[in-house]
Amino acid sequence: MDFLIDPERLELAEAVRDYLAGTHGPEVLRRLDAGPNRDAVIWQGLVEMGLTGLLVPEEHGGLGMALLDAALIARECGRACLAEPLVESAFVMLPWLIAQGRTDDLVAISEGSLRPVPAHRINGSMADGDGALLESVDPLRNLSALPDDASDDPHLLDLGALMASAQLVGLAEAMLDQAVEYSKVREQFGQPIGGFQAIKHKLADVAVALEFARSVVWRAAQALDDGIDSAALHVSHAKIAATDTAWLAAESAIQVHGAMGYTYEVDLHFWMKRAWALGGAWGSRAFHLRRVDEAVIGGSHVIGPENTFA
Amino acid sequence: MDLAYTPAQQAFRMEVREWLAANVPAEPLLTLECEEGYHRHVAWERKLAEGNWGMVTWPEAYGGRGLDLVEWLIFEEEYWGAGAPLRANQNGIFLLGPTIMEFGTDEQKARFLTPMAAGEVIWAQAWSEPGAGSDMAAIKATAVRDGDHYVINGQKTWSSRASFADWGFGMFRTEEGSKRHKGLSFLLFDLDTPGITRRPIRQLHGDPGFAELFFDDVRVPAENLLAGEGEGWKVAMATAGFERGLMLRSPGRFQATARRLVDLFRKHEPEAAPSAREAVAKAWMDTQAYAYNTYAVAAKIMAGGSIGAEASLNKIFWSEMDRAMHRTAMQLLGAAAELRHFADGRMNDWLEGYIFSLSGPIYAGSNEIQRNITAERLLGMPRVGAG
Repeated sequence: MDFLIDPERLELAEAVRDYLAGTHGPEVLRRLDAGPNRDAVIWQGLVEMGLTGLLVPEEHGGLGMALLDAALIARECGRACLAEPLVESAFVMLPWLIAQGRTDDLVAISEGSLRPVPAHRINGSMADGDGALLESVDPLRNLSALPDDASDDPHLLDLGALMASAQLVGLAEAMLDQAVEYSKVREQFGQPIGGFQAIKHKLADVAVALEFARSVVWRAAQALDDGIDSAALHVSHAKIAATDTAWLAAESAIQVHGAMGYTYEVDLHFWMKRAWALGGAWGSRAFHLRRVDEAVIGGSHVIGPENTFA
Repeated sequence: MDLAYTPAQQAFRMEVREWLAANVPAEPLLTLECEEGYHRHVAWERKLAEGNWGMVTWPEAYGGRGLDLVEWLIFEEEYWGAGAPLRANQNGIFLLGPTIMEFGTDEQKARFLTPMAAGEVIWAQAWSEPGAGSDMAAIKATAVRDGDHYVINGQKTWSSRASFADWGFGMFRTEEGSKRHKGLSFLLFDLDTPGITRRPIRQLHGDPGFAELFFDDVRVPAENLLAGEGEGWKVAMATAGFERGLMLRSPGRFQATARRLVDLFRKHEPEAAPSAREAVAKAWMDTQAYAYNTYAVAAKIMAGGSIGAEASLNKIFWSEMDRAMHRTAMQLLGAAAELRHFADGRMNDWLEGYIFSLSGPIYAGSNEIQRNITAERLLGMPRVGAG
């Protein structure tokens, strides 16, 4: 029993964080918003970091890493508000294909030349698909109509919900950082507004929510990696915790930014809109709450202190 | 990351479970906050010590088992899962004990830790004063060196367990004219020392769970000074860290409450609105999240790390979660919520628990203070206008 994430596993995620911080800042989001919102150069950079092959088994030329590693990187994609469909393609669709024994395209996916994206009925639409375009409030999300042959496989749903949760954690972290930074520089009544307890306590609440959402998401990732029977329950828990945290972060951050937060000029809106999108994707909050309810109150899952890791 | 218990850990769990099954009182004990209930809980402390379960993480030399934090969590899970009583010596084993281990001399460790683990000496805390609550640096009570003694004068209040306990610990101003965090020292004292007057204070539930302490020329031997003279603030901050941090509120207790809440909901399901289910499901989710986080912090400490201001996040989370769970139960109980005992004679432990839960966001540094600490030390927000 060891809940510590090995430092080596965190190193790769930190490298991705640094890379995205250097190459995918707010100016990139604004550029993508103003023109075509996908960029082959950005995608190629992610491929060269090995991220498209992260979950590809080593015998197929990939890094053979686990869903927990992917979740740690998905969090960084959320933090950077990454537009490219790395998470949906390489961390959701690809492990699902592998789980189904469909390994023909793994090399092409690793190399970045092929990027299949998941279509699941729970969503009603899909990101980066080929169908008729639908307009999302998130300007960097390419939504299209769901094809007729979309899957309803529960494992695909769990993978999608887990990776959405991890991104929501990163989105919340980024929004909290932005609100904190703004509170230090914006002055009213002769002092930074971050000195007022009303502002401090609002953002402290976000920090609390984040602290207790992260562990839930990592636990869900490990549950899927371990293939335990209750994994779907833990994924639903993660999706609820991460969604609630990201929405709290978004609403708190816009409030701290005041009228500036209500504009298109402050970058916060990119992260906020992604949080709205991912909060609903891969199963609404109500859907996941029902799964938790059925397991916990319905009695199919054993609860209580002796069963922390059941 | 490895979320499976080793065979040795599972065997330990079974050992704890068996001992508890054979020894936990069949009926809940009378409340710890009244005199008779206090003595029953002290008897339980001694029973625990007989089985060498008094403080499992302490070194064997002081009456512990030298277990690691994962084993401690397993013990706590089984303890609360079995419905075992509250710990009368909580202030000692979770707060003062770790503080003595960090700052005490070998002589102090031998003198204080062993009887603490054995349940022979029950400890009360003496932090707050009438003018020093959240602002603990405003302490006024003095301890003046006189030969090989300190002479204490002043007043402490909200001293948990002090109505009935044996010994107390607290901070006193040893340097005349010193201000704020400077000139404070951490002293341990026998509550029966001449010159100490205890005035029990009735708490919300009506029982004297804490007391006011009046010190009138109380002579305390100088060897009861913990760490150096003037180092009290440093020691107290470490103690407060233990209190807010890992050990005081183990997840097992809250997970047991969540399980009881699920059971209660099932009884009330026919008349309850569907929306009531969410608060119940949330109780499970939040208590699990708290447990995962505690395992994560334990793993971090076992790997050589430490906890700092993150302890404030913890304290905010568990205290508000505990209150929310009991509020949900009270609202499900409806007209029965106000009963001290149900019609069948059972104590309404949801009411007692709700009352107790209201203290959580207040004591050990109010949650407003914790939010300030979170904002300033973890988020780096500016300190403005604070003393």
